[in-house]
Amino acid sequence: MESLSVTEPVLLILLSLTERPRHGYAILQDVQEMSDSRVVLSTGTLYGALRRLLDGAWIERVEEEDAPRGRQSYRLTARGRRNLQLEVGRLKQLTRVAALRVARKET
Amino acid sequence: MLTIYRLLLYLYPQAHHCEFSEEMLAVFGEARTEAWKKNMLVRGRFCAYEIKGLLTGAAREHIRTICAVDRPPVFFSRRIAMRSEFRFPKATVTLMSIILAGVVLAIEKATAIRVSVPDSSPHVGPIQPAHFTFLPTMLVIMGGACLAGAIGWAILFALHRSGLHRLADFDPASNQASGGRTHA
Repeated sequence: MESLSVTEPVLLILLSLTERPRHGYAILQDVQEMSDSRVVLSTGTLYGALRRLLDGAWIERVEEEDAPRGRQSYRLTARGRRNLQLEVGRLKQLTRVAALRVARKET
Repeated sequence: MLTIYRLLLYLYPQAHHCEFSEEMLAVFGEARTEAWKKNMLVRGRFCAYEIKGLLTGAAREHIRTICAVDRPPVFFSRRIAMRSEFRFPKATVTLMSIILAGVVLAIEKATAIRVSVPDSSPHVGPIQPAHFTFLPTMLVIMGGACLAGAIGWAILFALHRSGLHRLADFDPASNQASGGRTHA
């Protein structure tokens, strides 16, 4: 895993970009939808995370010819996709262990 | 609201402001239009949340710029990755309160003893300092600090000039593949 820490907002942003490139506002809406409005990102939080992901080359900007002024889209890079897969694998393993432990405690 | 937001964007470091401010303003405009369709409570919550996000975001960016760290742990919540970090134990507060109470009690007791025995200590006249030593001591300390700073700076400067810091970027595999040649 790269040095960038995957917090819940960062994970949701990455998941939002897995299907297709999205611009800032679309990411905000998708994150809110994915988390059932549990995670509502402010623009400050969103662009802090996007900046770190850009610096780590996990995402990249997409050049759009007819994009309105101030609207910029982002997409996952191969590195970002690989790291996301690693993180998802780690979470799967964690939930598996958690489920086992909880089940053991209940019996 | 847009004007306030635009002004608050100046709290970010220059580089971040140049790169993202226009985009952030556009996204904020869209989000605000959506929030303004709802009731006053939602609007108020939206404004508070955005301002908080901007302030913490700007602080985080400044810390990152100054310290060159990617993640100041204080400002990050909702972590998924659990790491062992030092936590201030809650029992310490209780212990410190007990110790404080003990110290206050001891002072009270000492005061009571002193009042009950008024002439227990002989009279001592005012103590006169033999020499006025505060200013010279401070000068010596400041001189020492300046000297230590100069030595530290000189070491860093010498390391920088020698190119030692570039060793961190040195990749022996790629160097071997290119036959040990280096390019300027």
